[in-house]
Amino acid sequence: MKTKDKLKTNEEITWCPGCPNFMILESFKQTIANLIDTKEYTQKDFAITTDIGCHAKMFDYLNLSGIYGLHGRAIPTGLGITLGDPKLKVITFAGDGAVYSEGISHLIHAFRYNSDMTLILHDNQSFSLTTGQSTPTSQQGYISKASPQGEHNLPLNPIKLALASNATFIARTNARDITHMIEVFTKAIHHKGFSFVEIIQDCLIFNKDANNKDKMMYKIEDNKDYTKAQKLAEEYDYNSKDGKIPLGIIYQTKAKSLQEKWPQLQNG
Amino acid sequence: MRYNILIGGSAGQGINKISQIVSEVLSDQGYYTFNYRDYPSLIRGGHNFNVLSISNKQIMSTDSKFNIIIALDNTTKILHKKELEKGGVILTGESFKDLGQNLNIALAGALIKIIGISQEILIRILKKHFNTPEAIEAARLGFSNQENKWELKKLKNKTTILSGSKAVALGAKKSKLDLYIAYPMTPATGVMHELAKIQDKKLMVFQAENEIAVANIGLGSSFAGKRIMIGTSGGGFDLMGEALSLQGISEIPLTVYLASRPGPGTGIPTYTAQEDLNIALYSGHGEFARIVCAPGDTNEAIEKTNELLYLSEKYKALSIILSDKHLAESEYAIKEKTKRILPITIKRSIPRQKTTKASSYEINKFGNSTEDPTISKLNIDRRNKKIDNIQLNLDKLKTTKIYGKKKSKNLIIGWGSTKGAIIDAIEDIDAKFLQVLYLSPFPKEIETELKKANKIVLIENNVTGQLGELIRQKTGIKIKYKILKYDGRPFYCNELNKQIKKILK
Repeated sequence: MKTKDKLKTNEEITWCPGCPNFMILESFKQTIANLIDTKEYTQKDFAITTDIGCHAKMFDYLNLSGIYGLHGRAIPTGLGITLGDPKLKVITFAGDGAVYSEGISHLIHAFRYNSDMTLILHDNQSFSLTTGQSTPTSQQGYISKASPQGEHNLPLNPIKLALASNATFIARTNARDITHMIEVFTKAIHHKGFSFVEIIQDCLIFNKDANNKDKMMYKIEDNKDYTKAQKLAEEYDYNSKDGKIPLGIIYQTKAKSLQEKWPQLQNG
Repeated sequence: MRYNILIGGSAGQGINKISQIVSEVLSDQGYYTFNYRDYPSLIRGGHNFNVLSISNKQIMSTDSKFNIIIALDNTTKILHKKELEKGGVILTGESFKDLGQNLNIALAGALIKIIGISQEILIRILKKHFNTPEAIEAARLGFSNQENKWELKKLKNKTTILSGSKAVALGAKKSKLDLYIAYPMTPATGVMHELAKIQDKKLMVFQAENEIAVANIGLGSSFAGKRIMIGTSGGGFDLMGEALSLQGISEIPLTVYLASRPGPGTGIPTYTAQEDLNIALYSGHGEFARIVCAPGDTNEAIEKTNELLYLSEKYKALSIILSDKHLAESEYAIKEKTKRILPITIKRSIPRQKTTKASSYEINKFGNSTEDPTISKLNIDRRNKKIDNIQLNLDKLKTTKIYGKKKSKNLIIGWGSTKGAIIDAIEDIDAKFLQVLYLSPFPKEIETELKKANKIVLIENNVTGQLGELIRQKTGIKIKYKILKYDGRPFYCNELNKQIKKILK
């Protein structure tokens, strides 16, 4: 059996037909399969945590250890696993609704703690599983059932927030580009410290106005320069229909991980 | 014999050091002591006082009348003069004006002379804290400034001075705890500080960004195979509610230390109350089993912390150690009874050994989400049956205790930190005291004892009588007589004695 097939479960996939989550799932499985095939890790070395939302169904479709957590809390749950067993490679999946709203404090502190784990954030600018209310990254004017007057506020720029919070790895990728996702996920998992990957993703049912941004996207070289990272972060405001969306490693720097800071975590 | 000494001053004057040094001297001389701390929520200034009670036999309560008042400031004198017993002494700092920050040590010296213990013992103990010529000189000066009033001869009792916080930390340490996670909140912070102090290669204390993170980090680390405990007070416990419910469905072992203070809201943050029994019993949405236990003294705090960590692991259950400010921050000098520590072995499936899944959803046999009615019902039945299995195991542990006149028809019932005041208050009363340790599962003995009694008195540090309500819910028995105190202060042994006598006469 191919390694990738060992990573799947027999659960029926209940995402909408054509949902970009299928491609994210495939890219993730391929990333993990590659890491197992190159003997870097075994299947048991990984643990995942997922939030609550469409993205989180990933938990049921992956044959990996982990916790299907509470809405907004997948980050502290994942952080807990890294404290409980520092040898586990923890990957946390979350959505823009969960983390940028309910769990925003955990995100900021996760950057500070710099625990050796990866956050994969599915950003489709909509609370889709609860039928399309606006999230902190929804564009201004977005009309949903909960905001018939249109979203009044400008979106949050999570990349700027990450930079301001001393994040050590910030990346962005596109849910339509499997090759790029695998490349970015692999680099994120290899990063020593907290790695944050934002996936720009369409929702085929809700907030369709925010879809089809491919023409704005372009790929960048891996960047380690902070000033350049600030400029890259500014290029896309999550609101405009034009401008550029840089994809790739927006910023990476070396800093002590939580596991390196605490002597208690060094023996596993 | 019982003597009560009030030591008062403003925050920062070092009143805790006086009671600490004097308690250590008395413990060294074989005396039992109980030190109650009364302080407002501020760092410098205000009015703080400690009440140090001394006896030749075990005492675990405080009092409202004093034999000696040590006043480091004038406010103490003004506020407490009326509480002085006949023939009592007030000691002030006036004779030691030039000592500056060593004033408290001089007063400790003066107090030791009054109670009739030798200078050598004082100096020996003092040196453990301050080994400077100035401090020792201050102690000598204080000592020579007073006359012997009592004569406390050396006794053979061996006591250990512990606060409830220290005892919970000790129980956790003895249980080989790997990780304690908390966010600062009085009066739970004591345990965090104690454990942080004794951190080593294995034990880690992690301060998270808020109590929601604390509880979820706790579940994550427990899932990965560690012995963990989380701690907070009422407000923080409210924030943990959703994660406690996640424990209920995911069945990841979790032990919570909950130290109460008066609410609602911020309430009276540095004072005491037993208002959180209901949230300990019912917080978290959905229906799931839990263990709630309220230790009543430091020995029980050690023992029950270990028991709850053990039970949580064994039954993959939520357990709550329910304490309060009075137990957490009072210093008990009592005989340490070391019970056998229950070993906590992790036998469940953990990641890296086997693919292990835990979920906030109802799950099928693979650990993946399901909405199937039959599977859901089976899961719910299995999870809720857990309480019966726990009950069976509890039969081997102490879930209630009886004190006082064991054959009396008058029954006093209480839980948690009121234990000390009740035992001390009923000494000269024809009454039996039933201490409830486990509140969930509900001990069967309670109903048996209640049915044997003619007159039942419920004693609680709250306004609604939460244990009384629980008893009524579980047994149908309505307790008529209640002594409820809810002014943020613990029961005073002398006042409680009068209140009980009035009901039982």
